[in-house]
Amino acid sequence: MSKIKHFFQQSWLLIVASFCFGLLIAVTNAAWSERIEQNEREKLFSLMRGLVGDANDFEIALEEAQIPAKKGRVIKTDIYRAIDKGGKGVGFAYVSIGSGFADKIKLVIAVDSKCEKFFGFKVLASNETPGFGSKIKEDYFSSQFKDAPAGKLELVKTGDDEKIDSEIVAISGATVSSEAVVEIINNSIIHIRSKLQEKGLVTNGR
Amino acid sequence: MADKSRGLSPAVYKETFLAGLWRKNPVFRLLLGMCPTLAVTAAVKPALTMGLCVIFVLLCSNIIVSLMRNLLKPHLRILMFTLTIATFVTIADLFLKAFVPDMSETLGPYVPLIIVNCIIICRAEACASKNGLVVSFIDAVGMGLGFTMTLCVLAGVRELLATGKIFEQAVMPAAFVPWAAMSMPVGAFITLGLLLGLVNIVTRKQT
Amino acid sequence: MDTLNILLLGFISIVLINNLVFTKFLGICPYLGVSGRIDMAFGMGLAVTFVVTLSGTLTWIIDHWILMNIGLEVTRYVCFILVIAGAVQLVEMYLRKFFPSLYESFGIFLPLITTNCAILGLCLFINLWEIDNLLEAVVLSFGAGIGFTMAICIMAGIRENLNLADVPQCLKGAPITLITAGLLTLAFMGFAGMIR
Repeated sequence: MSKIKHFFQQSWLLIVASFCFGLLIAVTNAAWSERIEQNEREKLFSLMRGLVGDANDFEIALEEAQIPAKKGRVIKTDIYRAIDKGGKGVGFAYVSIGSGFADKIKLVIAVDSKCEKFFGFKVLASNETPGFGSKIKEDYFSSQFKDAPAGKLELVKTGDDEKIDSEIVAISGATVSSEAVVEIINNSIIHIRSKLQEKGLVTNGR
Repeated sequence: MADKSRGLSPAVYKETFLAGLWRKNPVFRLLLGMCPTLAVTAAVKPALTMGLCVIFVLLCSNIIVSLMRNLLKPHLRILMFTLTIATFVTIADLFLKAFVPDMSETLGPYVPLIIVNCIIICRAEACASKNGLVVSFIDAVGMGLGFTMTLCVLAGVRELLATGKIFEQAVMPAAFVPWAAMSMPVGAFITLGLLLGLVNIVTRKQT
Repeated sequence: MDTLNILLLGFISIVLINNLVFTKFLGICPYLGVSGRIDMAFGMGLAVTFVVTLSGTLTWIIDHWILMNIGLEVTRYVCFILVIAGAVQLVEMYLRKFFPSLYESFGIFLPLITTNCAILGLCLFINLWEIDNLLEAVVLSFGAGIGFTMAICIMAGIRENLNLADVPQCLKGAPITLITAGLLTLAFMGFAGMIR
């Protein structure tokens, strides 16, 4: 009995303090958690809105679609359907990951509702070499993907970057980063399209 | 015991405050808290955010520890300090995620690393657990401001040379070619080393 | 076979490419304070490796099997730091009882490891990278410790020679160490892109 008493004598402050701090954290979390969640959703949606011009809102078309990637990994991502003010579907958007030069590159990619043309991509997270690989975020590289055919895109070293076709001109000095982006997009669109077609969500010619 | 007999005058408060700013500047003189100094100073905005978070946590932790100082058992005190600091860092992190999400993203895992920032634990141990409320408060403000100032100076140099802008406003002329190395770890280490050397020259001249 | 591949690449990546000291700025405080003696640096590195492997594994287990299941993720930081402090205490008690000579040689380093940013930093990075299996977490933690040991031994070796060099008065001590660390970082940048 005296051992327990001794224990409490030594650590009562610790127990009381833990309780109080726990309460403080819980209250703060309860007050702000909704805002935090909303911020996270908004971050993704604002990028998607920038890609799909007509979009008014986004709903989940397919939750946790699985995209097989290199080395046996599987990427799980949600596919969002963009709807305009009239409630019509105007395209799809999703997040995909792949390995770049320095670290992983996370992209948000948007395609039209027939899964035939890209609306473009935006970089969510990347750690590429500043001044070289970081140029994948710049407009002159990403604008080559706008209206590009959603098939097998090819990376070339020199060419006309104004012409919209399946050739993407690499950033000089950042071949690996450019190739990584093209590969992420190529790899993901095949699986995304097949998953959406399975579910009958791809509008064909209408 | 010590503070009751000292007779706290405004001079002592001023001395404590100024010490945190220069004579006992946590980064330049005491060489504490290096990890966040190097990690978040790529630009001025994250550096300022980190500095303000540290001020908040330092204030709260110093106040609470000072209030508790007579109740602390000697062998459990480090645990108590750690618990206090961890709580307030969690609150600061939640605040950033809720109200400034882009800064929260840039700072990333370095906000929770404030918990093991040597500055806060050292001030709790050396000052707050031995002094009254007012002295601890002023010490926290002084140290926090000193730390923030240091971060901003370092970030200012790095951001200016790496992008030609400060706080995202263009400062350098258009012909300036940015030094990309400044935004990488290399630039961080070397700039801090050179700044420390500069501070050493200035303090040596003063003594 | 694929698992082994992923683990091996993960290990190499955290030792060379994403080295905690050179790219993530963790563990700088003991890094600067390490004396110019390689044997002490090696001892410190080993202590850190042991603690970080233990902490990384424990925090991953607690995070995935307890915190996420009862939705208490907000207490993550408090739990992590308490686990780390507890792990360091355990290691200290264990060493004092069974390997007293080793305990003597570690000296002051062991309690100091609790505030080493590298340990908490690694636990947070494992969380950030969303590592979802236990084996990978263990390998990454171990690799982080090895990477830290390697960085600290290189630095101790260089400092031994720096003591004999003609360093300007104002740069002696911490400044020249930082500049050396910066140059080392530059050298290690050459490893980036090694793994794709």
